[in-house]
Amino acid sequence: MKFVILVHSNPQPWGHPTGDYVAENQALPKEQREQMNTEFEALLTQLEANGELLGGEALGDPATSTLYRWQSGKPIATDGPYAESKEQFAGFFMIDVATRERAEEITEAFAGPGETIELRPAMWPGGGDR
Amino acid sequence: MTSERCEDAWRRETPLVLAALLRRSGDFETCEDSVQEALLAAAGQWPTQGMPDNPRAWLIRVASRKLIDHQRSHAARTRRELVDSTHAPVDTRYVGSATPTALPPQGDDTLQMLILCAHPALSDASRVAITLRAVAGLSTAQIAAGFLVPDATLAQRISRAKATLRSAGARFEAPTSADLPDRLHAVRHVLYLTFNEGYTSSGGKSLIDADLATEAIRVTERLHRSIPDDTETSGLLALMLLTHARAPARTDERGDLVPLAEQERTLWDRDLIARGTALIEQALSAGPAGPFQLQAAIAAIHDEAATAEATDWLQITMLYRMLDRLAPSSTVTLNLAVAVGMAHGPTAGLDVLAPLLGQADQQHNHRVHAAHAHLLELTGSTAAAKGAYLLAARLTGSIPEQRYLNRQAGC
Repeated sequence: MKFVILVHSNPQPWGHPTGDYVAENQALPKEQREQMNTEFEALLTQLEANGELLGGEALGDPATSTLYRWQSGKPIATDGPYAESKEQFAGFFMIDVATRERAEEITEAFAGPGETIELRPAMWPGGGDR
Repeated sequence: MTSERCEDAWRRETPLVLAALLRRSGDFETCEDSVQEALLAAAGQWPTQGMPDNPRAWLIRVASRKLIDHQRSHAARTRRELVDSTHAPVDTRYVGSATPTALPPQGDDTLQMLILCAHPALSDASRVAITLRAVAGLSTAQIAAGFLVPDATLAQRISRAKATLRSAGARFEAPTSADLPDRLHAVRHVLYLTFNEGYTSSGGKSLIDADLATEAIRVTERLHRSIPDDTETSGLLALMLLTHARAPARTDERGDLVPLAEQERTLWDRDLIARGTALIEQALSAGPAGPFQLQAAIAAIHDEAATAEATDWLQITMLYRMLDRLAPSSTVTLNLAVAVGMAHGPTAGLDVLAPLLGQADQQHNHRVHAAHAHLLELTGSTAAAKGAYLLAARLTGSIPEQRYLNRQAGC
C-alpha cells in the first residue's frame, strides 16, 4: 500500500531539515537532537535499502510559489504563499509498505516538536483490495 | 521471427535455465544475475539474428559463461583481499560443457523454483517480485511497471530478497514429502497474490506490457502441468481462468468498474470459462474440496448464468457456507451475507452481516459498508442505503470503486 508522509512546518528562516530551523526543536538538548537525527537517518537508510521508500522531495520557501486561480474564464497567476498559516507544506515522502501499521510506525519517526506530520493513503487506479 | 515469439521462448526457459545453473552453484543471487544477463543477450540477438535451434541450451551456455565470469571476478577479488571465500572454486570444465543432453526434467524444476521463491523468510511482496523474475522471466522494469513503483525501488526489493534467501540458507532442492503441503500452500498463495495485484494495479486495462494477471495464469499453468493431481492447484488455476474470463466486461470505455450484475456477459471469454469449468469439475470429483476449489466453483456458477437474474444463488450460498467452515474470514462472511440476501431476501442477508457491522476491526472495511448499503437498498431503505454507500466510498482506496460507490449513493 502506498502512502505519502506530508511534512507541515514553518522553519525560520526556511531551510531543511526543517527541524533545524524550528524554535521548539532547537530548544531540545543537543544530545537529544543528535540522537533524533541519527535515528531518522538510520530509518531513511533502511527504507531505501528495503525498497519501501519510493521517493520524496524537500520543498522550497512558500514565498517562491506561484499560485494559479481561475478568474473571468482564464487562469491568473499570483505569487505565493498559499496561506498565511503557521505551518506550511514543507516536503513529502512516498512509501510503499505491506500494512497501514507499518506506515504508522515509519511516520512516527518523522515527528518532531513544532511540526505536524500527516500520513495519508494514496489511492490506486484498479478495483479490488490492496 | 517476431520478437513476441522470441520473448515467449526465453520467458518459458527462464526457470529451467536458472535451475540448471543452481545445480552447479548454490548461490541463487549470482545465478539469477547470470540468467538475467543471458536474457538481455537473447533480447539483443534473437529478434535480429533469429532464434537458436535449442533456445534452452543457448541460454544455459551464455548464462553459464556469465556465471563463470562472476565467480572468477569474485575469486580474484577474494584473493586480492586475502579473505576466505565461502565459495568453492568452480570446475570450469564441467560448467563449460553444458549440452542439451544434460538437461533436467522440466516439471520438477519449475516446482522447485516456485518453492524457493515462496520461501518463508521473504515478505509477500518480495515473493511475488522474485517469482516474476525467476519463474516468469520478467525484467525488473516490467515488474516495476506491473506494481506501479519506480524501477530502482523494485531492483532494491529484489536484491534484498536475494540477500534474505542467502542468509536464510535457502537451497534449490526438492522438498521432502513432509514439507510439500506447506510449501505448495505458500506457492499458491504467492500466485494468487500476483493475480490480484494485476487487478489492483492495472484497473483492468493493459496499459503496461507486463499484465500481472496473465503472468500469474501462465505460471500457475506451469505449476498445474507439473503436479496435475494436486486438486487445490487445479482449483487455483480454475479460479484465475474463470475470473479473468470476465476481464473484458469489468470496465467500461471510461475505465469505470462495472459490477458483476451489470456486466455485458457476451463479452466474457467463453474459452476461458470452458477451460476453467472443466478443470474445477474434474478437481471436485477427485476428493474433498479446498478453499480455492470452492471459490472456483462459485466463480463457475456466476460464469454459467446467462443473465444476472439467472444466477443460482442457492448453490452459491451453499458453497460459501462450506468455505466459511473450511477457511472462515470476514471476506467470506461478507460474501455469504450478499449470497443469502440474493437467495433468501435482503433481511436474511442483513442478519448474516450484522455481526461484522458490530466488529471494531471492520469499521474501516469499505466492503462491509458497501454490502450493507446494497442489502439496505434491496429492503427499500433508500436513505440508510445512501449513507452506507457514502461511507463505503470515503473508505475505499480504489479510484474507480470510489466513483462507482458515489454513483450508487446518487452523487
